[in-house]
Amino acid sequence: MTEKTNSGGTSPANVSAKWNVPTGRRTDEWSEALVLVGDSQDRAAFTRFFRHFAPLIKAFALSGSSLSAAHADELVQEVMLKVWQKAGGFNPEKAAASTWVYTIARNCRTDMFRRLQKFDTPLASDDFELESEEEESFVVLHTRRGSERVRELMGDLPPDQAQILGKVYMEGKSHSEAAAELDLPLGTVKSRVRLAIQKLQALMEA
Amino acid sequence: MLRIKKDMVHHHPPTDILTEHASGVLSVAQSACVAAHLSYCQRCRHTTERLEDIGGAQLERLDPVAVGESVLDRVLARLEDPEPLRYARSEASDTRLPGLLDRLINGDYADLVWKRVTQSLSISYLKTGDALHEFALYRIAEGGRIPEHTHGGSEMTLVLQGGFADESGEYHPGDFVIREGWDKHTPVALEGEECICLAVLDAPLRFTRLRHRWLNPLLKLRAG
Ligand SMILES: [Zn+2]
Repeated sequence: MTEKTNSGGTSPANVSAKWNVPTGRRTDEWSEALVLVGDSQDRAAFTRFFRHFAPLIKAFALSGSSLSAAHADELVQEVMLKVWQKAGGFNPEKAAASTWVYTIARNCRTDMFRRLQKFDTPLASDDFELESEEEESFVVLHTRRGSERVRELMGDLPPDQAQILGKVYMEGKSHSEAAAELDLPLGTVKSRVRLAIQKLQALMEA
Repeated sequence: MLRIKKDMVHHHPPTDILTEHASGVLSVAQSACVAAHLSYCQRCRHTTERLEDIGGAQLERLDPVAVGESVLDRVLARLEDPEPLRYARSEASDTRLPGLLDRLINGDYADLVWKRVTQSLSISYLKTGDALHEFALYRIAEGGRIPEHTHGGSEMTLVLQGGFADESGEYHPGDFVIREGWDKHTPVALEGEECICLAVLDAPLRFTRLRHRWLNPLLKLRAG
C-alpha cells in the first residue's frame, strides 16, 4: 500500500472536522476508510478496508506457521470485528492505519495463542493499551513524520536486519527464539535488532 | 493517564525490551510491567509508537493470502453483536496506579495478602497466569534495607510509590530498572514514605550474606 498523504482531493469535508488542523491529518485511503467507519458506521468503507487488510492479517497469522488456516481465518474475523468496534478511537493524526491494525492483530494473536494453550490469565491484551491522551500538535507532527519515514526506510535495511525484524514482529518470536531458529548467538540477534532500530531511529531524526 | 510530570521519570526500559513489548513477544508478566512504565513515561510511549510503526510497515509488506468471501460475510453478520464488556476502575482505586495494575490489585494495597520476609520487607504475589515469571509487589518500610542479594535470571522493577536507592542510582515512581544475572545489589528505601515496587522475576532472589541465607527457601519462585 502507498501512503497518499498529499493527494488531497476526495476527503469528505464533513467527516471528522475535529482532525482538520494545520498539522494535517492523514488523508490516505485507509485512514479515511477508518474515519468513515468510526464516525458513521459506514459498511461500504469497512468492506473496502476488509478486502485490503484481511489478506495481510491472514499472512500475519500464518507467518511463523504456528496457526492453522482455520485459526488464521478466525483471527482475521476477530481482528476485523475489533476494527469495526474500535474505529471511533482511531486518530489519523497519531497513527497510520496499518500501524493501528497491526497493534490490534498483535493483541488478538497473543490472546489466541493464550487461549489455544489454555493459559489462564486475568489479563487480556487490550488491558495493556493505554488510555489515549491529548498531545501538543508539534508532538503529533513530529510523530507523524517519524512514522512515515519508518515506512520508507524499511526497504533500505540490510537483509539480515530485515529478516530479524520479520521474525520478531511478524512471526512473534522473542529474541531468544529467533536466535535458536536462525542458529545464531542471542547477542548477535539482539545486536541486529538494535542496529536496525538505531538505523531507523537515526534516519527518522535526521 | 497519570499525572506525573514527564521529566520525573529517569530510568527507562532498554530499547530491546521495548521492541519485544511492541512486537508482542514478552511474557504476560514482563509485558504488564513494561506497559505500567509506559503509563508513567511519555518518552517511552513515543518510542513504542515508532516501534509499532515497524510492525505496521512489515504488515504492509507481507504477501497477501487470499481470504474466502465467507469470512467477510461472517464478519458483516456479526457487526451488530454487543461489544465485550470493558473493565472499569473501581471507585476506591488508587488513581495514581496504571489501569492494568489497578485491575490486578483490585482494591487497596492494604487489602492484599502480604508475606513478611524481614523487618522492613513484605511481599505480595499477584496472579498473572505467567508460568515463568513471578509478579509481586515489594513493600519496603521507609529507610528499610533489602539484604544484599543476586538473581539467577532477570528482574524488572518498577517503582509505584516512594522510592529507593542502590549502588547505581536513585529511583522514583515510574522508574524502571532491569537487572540480569548475578549483579549483587542492596536497595534501600528512601526516607519519607513507604516504598512500593512491582518486581517481575524469572528466578528467585538469593540473599548472599550468611546471616540472611536462611531466608532463601522462603523465596522460591512463585510464578503463575
Ligand atoms: Zn520510559
